[in-house]
Amino acid sequence: MLEIQGLNVFYGDIQAVWDVSLHVDEGSIVALVGANGAGKSTLLRAISGITSAKEGEILFSGKSLKKLPPQDIVKMGISHVPEGRRLFSNLTVYENLKLGAYIPRSRRSVTQSIERAYDLFPVLKNRMNQKAGALSGGEQQMLAIARAMMSRPMILMLDEPSLGLSPMLVKTMFELIMNLNRQKVTILLVEQNIHQALKIADQAYVLENGKIAMTGKGKELLSDPEVQKAYIGTRWSKS
Amino acid sequence: MLEIPNLDIFIQLLINGILFGTMYGIAAIGLSLIFGTMRIMFLAQGSMIILFAYVSYWFFELLGLDPYISLFLIVLIGLGFGAGIYHGLFKGAAAQEDKNISLLIAVGLMFLVENLMTVFWTADPRTISTGYTSLVFRPMGIGIPFNRLMGFIIALFATTGVLLFLKKTYIGIAVRAAAEDMEAVTLLGINPHRVNSVVFAIGTGLAGIAGVELATIYPFDPFFGFIFVLKAMIALAIGGIGNVFGALLGGIILGLLESLSSFFIGGGWSDAVSYGVFLLILMFRPEGLMVRSVKKA
Repeated sequence: MLEIQGLNVFYGDIQAVWDVSLHVDEGSIVALVGANGAGKSTLLRAISGITSAKEGEILFSGKSLKKLPPQDIVKMGISHVPEGRRLFSNLTVYENLKLGAYIPRSRRSVTQSIERAYDLFPVLKNRMNQKAGALSGGEQQMLAIARAMMSRPMILMLDEPSLGLSPMLVKTMFELIMNLNRQKVTILLVEQNIHQALKIADQAYVLENGKIAMTGKGKELLSDPEVQKAYIGTRWSKS
Repeated sequence: MLEIPNLDIFIQLLINGILFGTMYGIAAIGLSLIFGTMRIMFLAQGSMIILFAYVSYWFFELLGLDPYISLFLIVLIGLGFGAGIYHGLFKGAAAQEDKNISLLIAVGLMFLVENLMTVFWTADPRTISTGYTSLVFRPMGIGIPFNRLMGFIIALFATTGVLLFLKKTYIGIAVRAAAEDMEAVTLLGINPHRVNSVVFAIGTGLAGIAGVELATIYPFDPFFGFIFVLKAMIALAIGGIGNVFGALLGGIILGLLESLSSFFIGGGWSDAVSYGVFLLILMFRPEGLMVRSVKKA
């Protein structure tokens, strides 16, 4: 469904993504994991068109996204929840959601989509007329995901959805991601919470310094001794 | 030299200040909207106002069109002209990280419009003089000039219109969102050029209203525009940027300040007082006098 081939992305003069190739199958959960600054967010930004890739190709259902501006990529069915949520804090919860359905295709069903968002996150319904900036961290993350779902995307890209959430909310967040996936939404997930991300991922890529260091099924990588050592910590140190 | 005026004069000063200040206010709303998404001060706003003052002057002199009728036409022209200016001049620069490019285009546009106006209409001051120019209402003995009252009412309508647009329409909500975070707006499938051209259209449409108002109450020349945009910036400093009603209120407060200071201190002092207040606000409350806290997206 989404195919990335030999992608090189620069941030100014610094190369952030080196020759990355990966693919995301329809209906799957794909996790991009790795340390801070490994190039995960840059990769998502390149897919959604905010950052332009210097070399390589990004194909979505066979069509190239590389030259398209972000607003056209959204219209093709890719929705990106960026790092730090990027809600409009002076707009109400309702207005944030409404804007999520801006593109013509989803605007027609905006009322149903908002109802669906409230079903998924009842807390948002209670706060629909409050400003997004007044929500708690967990509620803001829910709103960010709900807003991205308003355009009815085929692929949802999530950048660090668990960041800054309490352990209990982290668990809820990952359950929610699996729940969305069951509703036929393909998920591309960037996470520093590697343990949780690998647990739910069908396929996972480990990024190191902008390069793909390892790839495999999520559960396989989870039990891989090298991944354990580098990212998750050894078993005995936990007990 | 400070004299105690009688109550009538004092009320007269207040009314004149409020009515004149609304003109600054609607110019400031345009500046505020354009700054919101473009992150530049649209310095040509004042020259646009003068341009539309000349257009309404021409409609009146050449076609005999009453300014309050040509107003509708001029607002429509202004909306289209604003969108055209964006697509023709600013579109390429808007995508650049460096906002100085857009700012320089605005400065260039200001000088171009100023000089074209001098060519077309000379530097002689003009004003529209209709049968009701000197009409003054006198409820309870307080004189209210008809044209200034009309300007005030039109400005209130325009402000309400802009507020409703920003609150109720899809693209209006997108404009408010873009003022917070343009990148996040494009990630929702919204074309940033569309948002920018909409704020330019509204800003220039409001310039049309201010231009007609000005032409009916005050003599103007091509170089009055720069002073006007400075006044609008002072209004913004008072009212706080990104707040439509605050901008209008800022304009009214500035109008009052000028009206009172020219009476109490002396005619030549009113501008000095305005710019002095401007500098003081920028020094001590750079976020705006009436903004309660700095909102950061």
